[in-house]
Amino acid sequence: MLLLDIKNLTIELETPDGLIRAVDRVSLSLKEGETRGLVGESGSGKSLVAKAIVGVLNRRWHVHADRFNWLGQDLLRISSEQRRQIIGRDIAMIYQEPSRSLDPTAEIGEQLEEAIPSHLLESRWWQRPFERKKRAIALLHKVGIRDHQNVMQSYPFQLSEGVCQKIMIAMAIAKNPKLLIADEPTTALESTTQAQLFRLLASFNQLKGMAVLLISHELESVARYTQNLSVLYCGQLVESGDTASLLQQPLHPYTDALIKSVPEFQPELAPKSPLYALHGSIPTLQHLPIGCRLGPRCPNARKECVKTPQQERLQNHFFSCHFPLQGKGDK
Amino acid sequence: MSNLLEVEQLSKTYVKHLGLFRRKRIQALHDISFSLQSGKTLAIVGETGSGKSTLAKLLVGIEKPDSGVIRLAGEPVEISHYKKYNHVIRFIFQDASQSLNPLQKVGQMLEDVLRFSTILDPTQRRTKIRQTLRQLGLLDEHAEFYPHMFSGGQLQRVALARALILDPKLLILDQALSALDPSLRAQIVNLLLELQQKNDLAYLLITNNLQLVQHLSDDMLVLSEGETTDYGPTAEVFRAPRHDYTRKLLNSLL
Repeated sequence: MLLLDIKNLTIELETPDGLIRAVDRVSLSLKEGETRGLVGESGSGKSLVAKAIVGVLNRRWHVHADRFNWLGQDLLRISSEQRRQIIGRDIAMIYQEPSRSLDPTAEIGEQLEEAIPSHLLESRWWQRPFERKKRAIALLHKVGIRDHQNVMQSYPFQLSEGVCQKIMIAMAIAKNPKLLIADEPTTALESTTQAQLFRLLASFNQLKGMAVLLISHELESVARYTQNLSVLYCGQLVESGDTASLLQQPLHPYTDALIKSVPEFQPELAPKSPLYALHGSIPTLQHLPIGCRLGPRCPNARKECVKTPQQERLQNHFFSCHFPLQGKGDK
Repeated sequence: MSNLLEVEQLSKTYVKHLGLFRRKRIQALHDISFSLQSGKTLAIVGETGSGKSTLAKLLVGIEKPDSGVIRLAGEPVEISHYKKYNHVIRFIFQDASQSLNPLQKVGQMLEDVLRFSTILDPTQRRTKIRQTLRQLGLLDEHAEFYPHMFSGGQLQRVALARALILDPKLLILDQALSALDPSLRAQIVNLLLELQQKNDLAYLLITNNLQLVQHLSDDMLVLSEGETTDYGPTAEVFRAPRHDYTRKLLNSLL
């Protein structure tokens, strides 16, 4: 069953010069127990999509969608009260910089106990404080922190970034969510801790059947840990499909450029040889090109590219490009 | 080929005052030795707290080493006289958007560098600025721009311009590539490679990104808690790491 089913999500920002369309008709779906990566460069709107899912965008942002279903229920057409209840029960999110999103004035133990919802506690009310503490310790053990005594009594600034991120994950899984959204969980971390965290997320996915939406700008790490992949560019969904086939046979020039710009995916590339790069830079939101937003930077852009391409499908592989790399004849 | 930079048994200890008499000594670097030829790249890899940034600071003279010798082109130097050596070794910081002065035009910023460190007169300076901007694929008009008017990739180019305007022989890149988006990173990597070939520049690359290390560097040095755990040609270290720590680090890639 589809957990999350979003069709044509559009997010617009109110500015003095009118509405700016930051996310343009993005579709996204997640099955139960699926891991999906959402890849895009800065300003591509990947964090906005995540924030729209958990409903934390403020009033300046207008969110529309043809369909925004969570377990068959359209989240945009129910009251915000109800929406909050559903999201609070089922969806958890990990933010980018753990040391910033933890409360600096409270001890870790206190914050962690607070994150455990009351409906999960089974004991009588007078035993609850003890149960909470026991659960908090168990959570720390689950995310691989053995030294719970010390960590529970520390403040966030006393702990390393990696440990803080693990605590964030512990808080996120405290309510046994159906979907975990990880918004760039490893940008601030070392490569060894990064691998640890990804393995941790993967293990929760496999053991508990928790769906994971992994958002990152690093294609290489996302590709290693996800089954499916969606690639965003400037708020447009350029390509989505299962990770292996997408990496093997990208149809959109942007995905192709992303893959070619990472040395890891080019084993035969000699060291010190130039990498493939698109010329130009990412346009700002105020100066978005019309039609396909990759247009001005695309190596094979033609006249038709001033019209926004429709999403097309090749088996389980979606792409939006007038001139896909392998040619449409393959269909 | 002679070595551009040689470092022998560099050590640095920080002393932390815990009370009136109690002191804690933190050994940030312990007996680090390496050498770097011009036109080559040395990558320095390690976790936070392994002393990477301390090493960079010692090399540009922000901090003084406790013991050890730094040799530039075969001669031992007192690197903290940075007036004398800052045109040989230049430093690029992590995030260009935060390390450039937002109130200063790019041209002004580059001119300041020249005024403090060279004996060029104003017209010569102007030609030099124009040359450097062109070299990095920027336009002459960009001298009149403020940092906020540039995009991320261009800003990194401006930061490179500030470093390269004195025609250095060695460039220290302290995590300068990690904050960039993949397509911009590829652009900057290409630019760096091109500059290296053209001007025989040497790079000291401090980074966490092992793929980049593999692609860009000739030699690599792995630091762990201030000590060298592995040092050698990159391909060899990747193939047969000697130390457990290096193995762990490389395994995190797979």
